[in-house]
Amino acid sequence: MSELRRAWLITRKDLRLEFRTGGRLLSMIAFVVLAGFLFAFALDHNLVPGRDVAAALIWLVILFASTAGAGRIFDAEEEEGAFRHLLLTPVSRPAVFLGKTMANLIVIWLVTALTFISLTAFLDVRDQGSLTAHAAVLLPGTIGLAATGTFFGRMSRHSSLGDTLLPVLTFPLLVPVIYLGATSTARVLLERPWTEISGSVRLLWAFAVGSVFIGAALFRHLTDE
Amino acid sequence: MSTRARIAGLALVTAGVATILVTHWMMAFWVPSEAAQGVVQRIFYVHVPAAWTTFLAVGIVALASAVHLWLEDERADAAAVAAAEGALIFGAIMLITGPLWGRIAWGTYWTWEPRLTLTLLLWFTYLGYFLIRGSVADPRRGKRFAAVVAIVGSLNIPLIHVSVEMFRSLHPGPVVIKPEGPTLHADMLATLLTSLAGFTLLFLGLFTFRYAVERLRRRPLPAAAGEAGEALI
Repeated sequence: MSELRRAWLITRKDLRLEFRTGGRLLSMIAFVVLAGFLFAFALDHNLVPGRDVAAALIWLVILFASTAGAGRIFDAEEEEGAFRHLLLTPVSRPAVFLGKTMANLIVIWLVTALTFISLTAFLDVRDQGSLTAHAAVLLPGTIGLAATGTFFGRMSRHSSLGDTLLPVLTFPLLVPVIYLGATSTARVLLERPWTEISGSVRLLWAFAVGSVFIGAALFRHLTDE
Repeated sequence: MSTRARIAGLALVTAGVATILVTHWMMAFWVPSEAAQGVVQRIFYVHVPAAWTTFLAVGIVALASAVHLWLEDERADAAAVAAAEGALIFGAIMLITGPLWGRIAWGTYWTWEPRLTLTLLLWFTYLGYFLIRGSVADPRRGKRFAAVVAIVGSLNIPLIHVSVEMFRSLHPGPVVIKPEGPTLHADMLATLLTSLAGFTLLFLGLFTFRYAVERLRRRPLPAAAGEAGEALI
Protein backbone atom coordinates (compact mmCIF):
# COMPACT_ATOMS: atom_id res chain seq x y z
CA MET A 1 0.00 0.00 0.00
CA SER A 2 1.46 3.35 -1.00
CA GLU A 3 2.15 6.11 1.52
CA LEU A 4 -0.42 8.35 -0.17
CA ARG A 5 -3.07 5.65 0.17
CA ARG A 6 -2.23 5.32 3.88
CA ALA A 7 -2.42 9.09 4.28
CA TRP A 8 -5.82 9.06 2.59
CA LEU A 9 -7.04 6.33 5.00
CA ILE A 10 -6.04 8.56 7.94
CA THR A 11 -7.87 11.48 6.31
CA ARG A 12 -11.02 9.38 5.88
CA LYS A 13 -10.86 8.16 9.48
CA ASP A 14 -10.43 11.72 10.80
CA LEU A 15 -13.24 13.07 8.65
CA ARG A 16 -15.56 10.24 9.70
CA LEU A 17 -14.78 11.04 13.34
CA GLU A 18 -15.30 14.73 12.61
CA PHE A 19 -18.70 14.29 11.00
CA ARG A 20 -19.87 11.75 13.61
CA THR A 21 -19.04 13.93 16.59
CA GLY A 22 -19.43 17.27 14.78
CA GLY A 23 -18.25 19.36 17.72
CA ARG A 24 -15.25 21.00 16.08
CA LEU A 25 -16.95 21.57 12.73
CA LEU A 26 -20.10 22.98 14.31
CA SER A 27 -18.14 25.39 16.50
CA MET A 28 -16.09 26.56 13.48
CA ILE A 29 -19.27 27.09 11.42
CA ALA A 30 -20.93 28.99 14.27
CA PHE A 31 -17.79 31.11 14.63
CA VAL A 32 -17.62 32.18 10.96
CA VAL A 33 -21.33 33.01 10.75
CA LEU A 34 -21.27 34.99 14.00
CA ALA A 35 -18.02 36.75 13.03
CA GLY A 36 -19.58 37.88 9.74
CA PHE A 37 -22.70 38.99 11.61
CA LEU A 38 -20.62 41.02 14.11
CA PHE A 39 -18.43 42.60 11.41
CA ALA A 40 -21.58 43.81 9.66
CA PHE A 41 -22.58 45.64 12.86
CA ALA A 42 -19.06 46.84 13.72
CA LEU A 43 -18.62 48.66 10.38
CA ASP A 44 -20.06 52.08 9.71
CA HIS A 45 -21.25 51.38 6.16
CA ASN A 46 -21.60 55.10 5.43
CA LEU A 47 -17.87 55.66 6.04
CA VAL A 48 -16.40 52.26 5.08
CA PRO A 49 -18.29 50.24 2.45
CA GLY A 50 -18.24 46.50 3.26
CA ARG A 51 -16.79 45.72 -0.17
CA ASP A 52 -13.60 47.68 0.68
CA VAL A 53 -12.75 45.49 3.65
CA ALA A 54 -14.45 42.22 2.65
CA ALA A 55 -11.28 40.50 1.36
CA ALA A 56 -9.30 41.24 4.54
CA LEU A 57 -12.17 40.11 6.79
CA ILE A 58 -12.72 36.90 4.77
CA TRP A 59 -9.07 35.90 5.21
CA LEU A 60 -8.96 36.86 8.88
CA VAL A 61 -12.08 34.85 9.66
CA ILE A 62 -10.65 31.83 7.79
CA LEU A 63 -7.37 32.24 9.71
CA PHE A 64 -9.04 32.49 13.13
CA ALA A 65 -11.46 29.64 12.46
CA SER A 66 -8.75 27.33 11.11
CA THR A 67 -6.37 28.16 13.97
CA ALA A 68 -9.07 27.52 16.55
CA GLY A 69 -9.85 24.17 14.94
CA ALA A 70 -6.38 23.02 13.86
CA GLY A 71 -5.09 21.68 17.16
CA ARG A 72 -8.32 19.84 17.82
CA ILE A 73 -7.57 17.30 15.10
CA PHE A 74 -5.37 15.47 17.62
CA ASP A 75 -7.72 15.82 20.59
CA ALA A 76 -9.95 12.75 20.29
CA GLU A 77 -7.00 10.42 19.65
CA GLU A 78 -4.87 12.00 22.38
CA GLU A 79 -7.53 11.61 25.04
CA GLU A 80 -8.13 7.94 24.21
CA GLY A 81 -4.43 7.16 23.69
CA ALA A 82 -5.24 6.20 20.10
CA PHE A 83 -2.57 8.45 18.61
CA ARG A 84 0.16 6.30 20.15
CA HIS A 85 -1.44 3.27 18.52
CA LEU A 86 -1.56 5.09 15.20
CA LEU A 87 2.19 5.71 15.50
CA LEU A 88 2.76 2.00 16.17
CA THR A 89 1.14 1.05 12.84
CA PRO A 90 3.49 0.72 9.83
CA VAL A 91 2.60 4.18 8.56
CA SER A 92 5.41 6.67 8.10
CA ARG A 93 5.33 9.96 10.02
CA PRO A 94 5.11 12.05 6.80
CA ALA A 95 2.04 10.00 5.81
CA VAL A 96 0.43 10.67 9.22
CA PHE A 97 1.15 14.38 8.77
CA LEU A 98 -0.25 14.38 5.23
CA GLY A 99 -3.37 12.49 6.33
CA LYS A 100 -4.03 14.89 9.20
CA THR A 101 -3.31 17.92 6.98
CA MET A 102 -5.74 16.72 4.31
CA ALA A 103 -8.47 16.16 6.92
CA ASN A 104 -7.84 19.66 8.27
CA LEU A 105 -7.85 21.05 4.74
CA ILE A 106 -11.25 19.58 3.87
CA VAL A 107 -12.73 21.04 7.07
CA ILE A 108 -11.09 24.40 6.28
CA TRP A 109 -12.59 24.31 2.76
CA LEU A 110 -16.08 23.88 4.22
CA VAL A 111 -15.44 26.76 6.60
CA THR A 112 -13.95 28.88 3.77
CA ALA A 113 -17.01 28.36 1.55
CA LEU A 114 -19.31 29.33 4.39
CA THR A 115 -17.14 32.35 5.31
CA PHE A 116 -17.23 33.55 1.72
CA ILE A 117 -21.01 33.20 1.45
CA SER A 118 -21.80 34.72 4.85
CA LEU A 119 -19.38 37.68 4.61
CA THR A 120 -20.32 38.66 1.03
CA ALA A 121 -23.98 38.48 2.10
CA PHE A 122 -23.62 40.34 5.42
CA LEU A 123 -21.27 43.01 3.97
CA ASP A 124 -23.46 43.43 0.89
CA VAL A 125 -20.77 42.63 -1.68
CA ARG A 126 -22.82 42.45 -4.89
CA ASP A 127 -20.21 41.78 -7.63
CA GLN A 128 -18.22 38.89 -6.30
CA GLY A 129 -15.86 38.31 -9.23
CA SER A 130 -15.06 35.00 -10.88
CA LEU A 131 -15.58 31.93 -8.71
CA THR A 132 -12.71 30.13 -10.48
CA ALA A 133 -10.34 33.02 -9.71
CA HIS A 134 -11.41 32.95 -6.02
CA ALA A 135 -10.80 29.19 -5.91
CA ALA A 136 -7.37 29.65 -7.53
CA VAL A 137 -6.41 32.09 -4.73
CA LEU A 138 -8.04 30.24 -1.84
CA LEU A 139 -6.70 26.77 -2.75
CA PRO A 140 -2.95 27.40 -2.15
CA GLY A 141 -3.72 29.73 0.76
CA THR A 142 -5.81 27.15 2.62
CA ILE A 143 -3.21 24.40 1.95
CA GLY A 144 -0.62 26.62 3.68
CA LEU A 145 -3.01 27.29 6.58
CA ALA A 146 -3.87 23.59 6.98
CA ALA A 147 -0.23 22.39 6.91
CA THR A 148 1.02 25.05 9.33
CA GLY A 149 -1.99 24.60 11.65
CA THR A 150 -1.62 20.80 11.73
CA PHE A 151 2.12 20.99 12.39
CA PHE A 152 1.99 23.49 15.24
CA GLY A 153 -1.35 22.11 16.46
CA ARG A 154 0.51 18.93 17.38
CA MET A 155 2.94 21.01 19.48
CA SER A 156 0.28 23.02 21.25
CA ARG A 157 -1.50 19.81 22.39
CA HIS A 158 1.46 19.09 24.66
CA SER A 159 1.77 22.62 26.00
CA SER A 160 0.20 23.79 29.23
CA LEU A 161 -0.64 27.02 27.36
CA GLY A 162 -2.84 24.97 24.99
CA ASP A 163 -4.78 26.94 22.40
CA THR A 164 -3.26 30.30 23.44
CA LEU A 165 0.15 29.12 22.21
CA LEU A 166 -0.99 28.16 18.70
CA PRO A 167 -1.52 31.75 17.42
CA VAL A 168 1.88 32.82 18.86
CA LEU A 169 3.58 30.06 16.86
CA THR A 170 1.54 30.21 13.64
CA PHE A 171 0.56 33.88 13.09
CA PRO A 172 4.13 35.16 12.47
CA LEU A 173 4.60 32.44 9.85
CA LEU A 174 1.19 32.99 8.27
CA VAL A 175 1.57 36.74 7.67
CA PRO A 176 2.67 36.16 4.02
CA VAL A 177 -0.42 33.98 3.41
CA ILE A 178 -2.79 36.59 4.83
CA TYR A 179 -1.11 39.45 2.97
CA LEU A 180 -0.92 37.69 -0.41
CA GLY A 181 -4.34 36.04 0.00
CA ALA A 182 -6.22 39.18 1.08
CA THR A 183 -4.68 41.41 -1.61
CA SER A 184 -5.40 38.79 -4.29
CA THR A 185 -9.00 38.24 -3.14
CA ALA A 186 -9.54 42.02 -3.10
CA ARG A 187 -8.39 42.18 -6.73
CA VAL A 188 -10.64 39.26 -7.72
CA LEU A 189 -13.60 41.04 -6.07
CA LEU A 190 -12.75 44.15 -8.12
CA GLU A 191 -12.51 41.95 -11.27
CA ARG A 192 -8.96 43.07 -11.98
CA PRO A 193 -7.00 41.19 -14.69
CA TRP A 194 -5.40 37.89 -13.68
CA THR A 195 -1.91 39.20 -14.50
CA GLU A 196 -2.19 41.44 -11.41
CA ILE A 197 -2.92 38.40 -9.22
CA SER A 198 -0.83 35.58 -10.72
CA GLY A 199 2.45 36.63 -9.03
CA SER A 200 0.86 36.48 -5.55
CA VAL A 201 -0.78 33.13 -6.36
CA ARG A 202 2.60 31.71 -7.36
CA LEU A 203 4.05 32.83 -4.01
CA LEU A 204 1.04 31.29 -2.21
CA TRP A 205 1.75 28.00 -3.98
CA ALA A 206 5.43 28.25 -2.99
CA PHE A 207 4.38 28.71 0.65
CA ALA A 208 1.85 25.84 0.42
CA VAL A 209 4.33 23.37 -1.10
CA GLY A 210 7.11 24.51 1.26
CA SER A 211 4.96 24.17 4.40
CA VAL A 212 3.75 20.68 3.39
CA PHE A 213 7.30 19.46 2.67
CA ILE A 214 8.88 21.02 5.77
CA GLY A 215 5.99 19.81 7.94
CA ALA A 216 6.29 16.26 6.57
CA ALA A 217 10.07 16.28 7.04
CA LEU A 218 10.02 17.57 10.64
CA PHE A 219 6.82 15.88 11.89
CA ARG A 220 8.86 12.90 13.12
CA HIS A 221 10.39 15.16 15.80
CA LEU A 222 6.94 16.08 17.12
CA THR A 223 5.77 12.49 17.43
CA ASP A 224 8.77 10.58 18.81
CA GLU A 225 7.70 9.29 22.20
CA MET B 1 30.93 26.72 36.46
CA SER B 2 34.43 25.73 35.43
CA THR B 3 37.27 28.20 35.98
CA ARG B 4 38.06 28.08 32.25
CA ALA B 5 34.49 29.12 31.30
CA ARG B 6 34.51 31.85 33.95
CA ILE B 7 37.81 33.33 32.72
CA ALA B 8 36.81 33.08 29.04
CA GLY B 9 33.37 34.65 29.68
CA LEU B 10 34.80 37.43 31.82
CA ALA B 11 37.55 38.22 29.28
CA LEU B 12 35.06 38.35 26.38
CA VAL B 13 32.50 40.48 28.25
CA THR B 14 35.21 42.89 29.49
CA ALA B 15 36.68 43.21 25.99
CA GLY B 16 33.19 43.66 24.53
CA VAL B 17 32.14 46.37 27.01
CA ALA B 18 35.50 48.18 26.60
CA THR B 19 35.18 48.11 22.78
CA ILE B 20 31.58 49.37 22.96
CA LEU B 21 32.73 52.25 25.23
CA VAL B 22 35.44 53.11 22.66
CA THR B 23 32.76 52.99 19.91
CA HIS B 24 30.61 55.44 21.88
CA TRP B 25 33.58 57.81 22.22
CA MET B 26 34.17 57.52 18.43
CA MET B 27 30.46 58.14 17.76
CA ALA B 28 30.37 61.22 20.00
CA PHE B 29 33.71 62.90 19.22
CA TRP B 30 35.49 61.38 16.26
CA VAL B 31 33.37 60.16 13.35
CA PRO B 32 32.02 62.86 10.97
CA SER B 33 28.27 63.37 10.59
CA GLU B 34 26.62 62.00 7.47
CA ALA B 35 25.85 64.90 5.07
CA ALA B 36 22.18 64.14 4.34
CA GLN B 37 20.96 62.68 7.66
CA GLY B 38 23.10 64.51 10.20
CA VAL B 39 23.47 63.34 13.79
CA VAL B 40 20.67 60.74 13.62
CA GLN B 41 22.77 58.57 11.29
CA ARG B 42 24.94 57.68 14.32
CA ILE B 43 22.22 55.24 15.45
CA PHE B 44 23.57 53.15 12.55
CA TYR B 45 26.63 52.24 14.72
CA VAL B 46 24.35 50.56 17.25
CA HIS B 47 21.57 49.31 14.98
CA VAL B 48 23.73 47.48 12.41
CA PRO B 49 25.95 45.66 14.98
CA ALA B 50 22.80 44.68 16.95
CA ALA B 51 21.29 43.28 13.73
CA TRP B 52 24.52 41.43 12.88
CA THR B 53 24.69 39.93 16.40
CA THR B 54 21.01 38.90 16.22
CA PHE B 55 21.57 37.03 12.96
CA LEU B 56 24.77 35.44 14.30
CA ALA B 57 22.81 34.26 17.37
CA VAL B 58 19.92 32.97 15.21
CA GLY B 59 22.42 31.08 13.05
CA ILE B 60 23.94 29.44 16.16
CA VAL B 61 20.45 28.54 17.45
CA ALA B 62 19.47 26.95 14.11
CA LEU B 63 22.73 24.99 13.84
CA ALA B 64 22.69 23.84 17.48
CA SER B 65 18.99 22.93 17.20
CA ALA B 66 19.63 20.82 14.10
CA VAL B 67 22.49 19.03 15.92
CA HIS B 68 20.22 18.49 18.96
CA LEU B 69 17.47 16.97 16.79
CA TRP B 70 19.98 14.78 15.00
CA LEU B 71 22.11 13.56 17.91
CA GLU B 72 19.92 14.40 20.95
CA ASP B 73 23.04 16.05 22.39
CA GLU B 74 22.34 18.05 25.56
CA ARG B 75 25.31 20.35 24.88
CA ALA B 76 23.77 21.40 21.56
CA ASP B 77 20.48 22.22 23.29
CA ALA B 78 22.31 24.24 25.98
CA ALA B 79 24.12 26.17 23.21
CA ALA B 80 20.81 26.76 21.40
CA VAL B 81 19.04 28.16 24.45
CA ALA B 82 22.04 30.37 25.35
CA ALA B 83 22.18 31.80 21.81
CA ALA B 84 18.37 32.18 21.62
CA GLU B 85 18.41 34.49 24.64
CA GLY B 86 21.09 36.56 22.85
CA ALA B 87 18.93 36.64 19.70
CA LEU B 88 15.96 37.92 21.69
CA ILE B 89 17.97 40.64 23.53
CA PHE B 90 20.02 41.91 20.56
CA GLY B 91 16.92 41.60 18.37
CA ALA B 92 15.07 43.89 20.78
CA ILE B 93 17.94 46.43 20.56
CA MET B 94 17.74 46.29 16.75
CA LEU B 95 13.94 46.68 16.76
CA ILE B 96 14.09 49.66 19.15
CA THR B 97 16.96 51.55 17.48
CA GLY B 98 15.57 51.07 13.95
CA PRO B 99 12.29 52.96 14.59
CA LEU B 100 14.16 55.72 16.50
CA TRP B 101 16.21 56.35 13.34
CA GLY B 102 13.15 55.88 11.10
CA ARG B 103 11.18 58.58 12.94
CA ILE B 104 13.72 61.19 11.80
CA ALA B 105 14.80 59.70 8.46
CA TRP B 106 11.41 58.44 7.20
CA GLY B 107 9.09 60.58 9.34
CA THR B 108 7.50 57.51 10.94
CA TYR B 109 8.49 55.03 13.63
CA TRP B 110 7.32 52.01 11.69
CA THR B 111 6.50 51.10 8.13
CA TRP B 112 5.34 47.70 6.92
CA GLU B 113 8.13 47.21 4.47
CA PRO B 114 9.44 43.65 3.94
CA ARG B 115 12.71 43.71 5.91
CA LEU B 116 11.17 45.31 9.00
CA THR B 117 8.13 43.04 8.91
CA LEU B 118 10.14 39.83 8.45
CA THR B 119 12.58 40.83 11.23
CA LEU B 120 9.71 41.51 13.65
CA LEU B 121 8.19 38.13 12.73
CA LEU B 122 11.56 36.45 13.40
CA TRP B 123 11.61 38.05 16.86
CA PHE B 124 8.07 36.79 17.57
CA THR B 125 9.11 33.29 16.45
CA TYR B 126 11.88 33.36 19.06
CA LEU B 127 9.38 34.48 21.66
CA GLY B 128 7.41 31.34 20.69
CA TYR B 129 10.66 29.34 21.09
CA PHE B 130 10.78 30.18 24.82
CA LEU B 131 7.03 29.79 25.30
CA ILE B 132 6.93 26.26 23.85
CA ARG B 133 10.10 25.31 25.72
CA GLY B 134 8.74 26.38 29.07
CA SER B 135 5.18 25.14 28.68
CA VAL B 136 5.69 21.46 27.82
CA ALA B 137 5.64 19.19 30.87
CA ASP B 138 8.14 16.66 29.48
CA PRO B 139 11.47 18.62 29.25
CA ARG B 140 12.88 16.28 26.57
CA ARG B 141 9.87 16.90 24.36
CA GLY B 142 9.95 20.65 25.11
CA LYS B 143 13.56 20.87 23.94
CA ARG B 144 12.74 18.99 20.74
CA PHE B 145 9.71 21.19 19.99
CA ALA B 146 11.77 24.34 20.62
CA ALA B 147 14.49 23.06 18.26
CA VAL B 148 11.87 22.55 15.54
CA VAL B 149 10.52 26.11 16.06
CA ALA B 150 14.08 27.48 15.83
CA ILE B 151 14.77 25.67 12.56
CA VAL B 152 11.45 26.78 11.01
CA GLY B 153 12.08 30.37 12.21
CA SER B 154 15.60 30.44 10.79
CA LEU B 155 14.20 29.84 7.28
CA ASN B 156 13.16 33.49 7.56
CA ILE B 157 16.79 34.73 7.51
CA PRO B 158 17.54 34.28 3.77
CA LEU B 159 14.19 35.97 3.05
CA ILE B 160 15.14 38.95 5.26
CA HIS B 161 18.49 39.20 3.47
CA VAL B 162 17.06 39.18 -0.06
CA SER B 163 13.92 41.20 0.75
CA VAL B 164 15.74 44.52 0.20
CA GLU B 165 16.66 43.47 -3.34
CA MET B 166 13.47 41.48 -4.13
CA PHE B 167 10.82 43.99 -3.07
CA ARG B 168 10.53 47.73 -3.23
CA SER B 169 11.94 48.64 0.14
CA LEU B 170 12.53 51.79 2.14
CA HIS B 171 15.26 50.09 4.17
CA PRO B 172 18.78 51.22 3.13
CA GLY B 173 20.70 48.62 1.13
CA PRO B 174 24.13 47.22 2.11
CA VAL B 175 27.01 49.73 2.30
CA VAL B 176 29.83 47.44 3.48
CA ILE B 177 29.46 43.99 1.92
CA LYS B 178 29.10 44.89 -1.76
CA PRO B 179 30.73 43.43 -4.89
CA GLU B 180 32.49 46.74 -5.59
CA GLY B 181 33.69 47.09 -1.96
CA PRO B 182 32.42 49.29 0.92
CA THR B 183 30.92 52.64 -0.12
CA LEU B 184 31.26 54.13 3.35
CA HIS B 185 33.62 56.94 4.45
CA ALA B 186 36.81 55.40 5.96
CA ASP B 187 36.16 56.88 9.46
CA MET B 188 32.56 55.67 9.42
CA LEU B 189 33.71 52.21 8.36
CA ALA B 190 36.28 52.14 11.19
CA THR B 191 33.58 53.13 13.75
CA LEU B 192 31.18 50.53 12.39
CA LEU B 193 33.79 47.74 12.46
CA THR B 194 34.81 48.67 16.04
CA SER B 195 31.17 48.55 17.08
CA LEU B 196 30.67 45.22 15.29
CA ALA B 197 33.67 43.79 17.17
CA GLY B 198 32.34 45.13 20.49
CA PHE B 199 28.84 43.69 20.04
CA THR B 200 30.22 40.34 18.85
CA LEU B 201 32.62 40.05 21.82
CA LEU B 202 29.87 41.01 24.27
CA PHE B 203 27.50 38.44 22.77
CA LEU B 204 30.15 35.71 22.81
CA GLY B 205 30.96 36.53 26.45
CA LEU B 206 27.32 36.40 27.51
CA PHE B 207 26.88 33.23 25.46
CA THR B 208 29.83 31.58 27.22
CA PHE B 209 28.45 32.45 30.68
CA ARG B 210 24.91 31.40 29.79
CA TYR B 211 26.07 28.13 28.23
CA ALA B 212 28.14 27.29 31.33
CA VAL B 213 25.19 28.08 33.64
CA GLU B 214 22.84 25.97 31.50
CA ARG B 215 25.26 23.01 31.61
CA LEU B 216 25.63 23.43 35.38
CA ARG B 217 21.85 23.54 35.85
CA ARG B 218 21.45 20.23 34.02
CA ARG B 219 24.19 18.41 35.91
CA PRO B 220 22.66 15.79 38.23
CA LEU B 221 23.07 16.53 41.93
CA PRO B 222 25.77 14.48 43.68
CA ALA B 223 24.36 11.63 45.77
CA ALA B 224 25.38 13.32 49.04
CA ALA B 225 23.52 16.52 48.12
CA GLY B 226 20.47 14.46 47.16
CA GLU B 227 20.47 12.66 50.52
CA ALA B 228 20.88 15.95 52.37
CA GLY B 229 17.88 17.29 50.46
CA GLU B 230 15.80 14.24 51.31
CA ALA B 231 16.77 14.56 54.99
CA LEU B 232 15.55 18.15 55.00
CA ILE B 233 12.20 17.10 53.49
